[in-house]
Amino acid sequence: MKRNCYAHFFSLIIALLLGTAQQAAGQRTQIRGFVDVVSYYQNGKLNFGLGEQDLFITSEITQRLSFLGETVFKYSFDSPTSFNISVERIILKYNYAGNHSVLIGKHHTPINYWNDTYHHGRVFFPTVERPLLFAQGFIPLHTTGVSLQGQNLGRLRFGYDAMLGNGLGSGDIEDNNPFKSLTLAAHVKPTNGLRIGASYYHDVISKGSTIHNHYGGTSTVAPGRISQDILTGSIVYNDSVFHKKFEVLAESSMAMNRSDSLGTQRAIASYAYAGLRVTDKIIPYVRVDDIQYGSKEVYFMDNNTRSYVGGVRYEISYLAVVKLEYQHTKSHMNNISDNIIFQIAVGF
Amino acid sequence: MNYVYRFAFKVFLLSIYFQLPARSQDISLSVITSGKSAPSEMKLAQLKATMRGERLRWPDGSKVIIALLKTTTPIGTNTSRKIYNMSANELNKYWLALVFQGKADAPNFFNSEAELEEFVSQTNGAIGVVNHPSASNKVILIDGQRSL
Repeated sequence: MKRNCYAHFFSLIIALLLGTAQQAAGQRTQIRGFVDVVSYYQNGKLNFGLGEQDLFITSEITQRLSFLGETVFKYSFDSPTSFNISVERIILKYNYAGNHSVLIGKHHTPINYWNDTYHHGRVFFPTVERPLLFAQGFIPLHTTGVSLQGQNLGRLRFGYDAMLGNGLGSGDIEDNNPFKSLTLAAHVKPTNGLRIGASYYHDVISKGSTIHNHYGGTSTVAPGRISQDILTGSIVYNDSVFHKKFEVLAESSMAMNRSDSLGTQRAIASYAYAGLRVTDKIIPYVRVDDIQYGSKEVYFMDNNTRSYVGGVRYEISYLAVVKLEYQHTKSHMNNISDNIIFQIAVGF
Repeated sequence: MNYVYRFAFKVFLLSIYFQLPARSQDISLSVITSGKSAPSEMKLAQLKATMRGERLRWPDGSKVIIALLKTTTPIGTNTSRKIYNMSANELNKYWLALVFQGKADAPNFFNSEAELEEFVSQTNGAIGVVNHPSASNKVILIDGQRSL
């Protein structure tokens, strides 16, 4: 019975591929890229630094099947060449009906708006860097797996993502335990420029798992089995009010990490961004980040952090943006940090 | 001396006059398609949603393929303003972001109406915006009108 089921499944896949192969002549492939360089003043000295070089490829293989790949080249202290190559996204998308698609590959987890929208294209970022909840490793950035996606459905332009994937501690070629991560996300866009979304993430992290997905703010090795649930809410507004274009983006995630020894520990990470387009090209902005951990946290480091960002963005064109920003950060484990940073981000 | 003031005032008025057409140049737009995939009539709101990439398939299941003139052309600029309610720069950013998110395929951009017309006539499911529609494609009525 089981073998029969697999045979039907593979027959369906082969039929789909054969059906689409006839249309392969119409393939359209585009290669784009993004890069940024920064200069920053910190601790009494001026520094220059390279950001990321992001190579982005899309290909319409057939009228229903498409490919998206994103590869980042970035500085790495550990690498013998000083640079690492990181495959950020490899997605095969099959649009099976209307605005409904099935996607397989390595995704940016659709857990919040920023992670699902801006990715590594810093020319799109409203601020120089991502909110702190990314740097602190609060949310799972990537998931390798399969997902169902719907977009712009009905009058409210409802959208959904349902994703099953390798969980935290896994690599991109296999899962390290029998548990799969589950991401359920939904949003509505009732008017142009307004998007309201919510998501739920669940995973079980095995004892001893190495958390590859995070580079700061979390323990690198899980000390015990941890069951993690993350609830996220977000609101985005980007449109005209009295002929002035306002940009508002606020997101908050609550992570509940449950272990046998310490029970459930809650942590909350939030940020709010606001910008005002005073001219066609100039946008002053502010952002506030706040992360609060439970005192007996088992998965995250107890590093309560608050940050204030103020800056101005000058959009030379849609492919070139410069930003000048001041950031004040106060955290439980580190000294107070004041940073002035200048960034040029381009697309090509 | 009065002659100098009068002359300067006339130059000022003329400069305003010659600036106006460049700023408010209004080109009528027609929406074209080929084949039977796209409907023969749409409401303006439906057209805007379709052109924003919010609709991936026509009712017969064929793919919606958007054809636009480049935003550096007067027709492209008018398309940005009238259909997208965006500047040319905003439109380019909108599409680059949407493609980067993997939510839609990029429109096909053309330098001339003739190139766009030919593409639409040869592509099932294509929908495009031109100023002077040719006989090779059918015009979609928008709110009952042939042009915007």
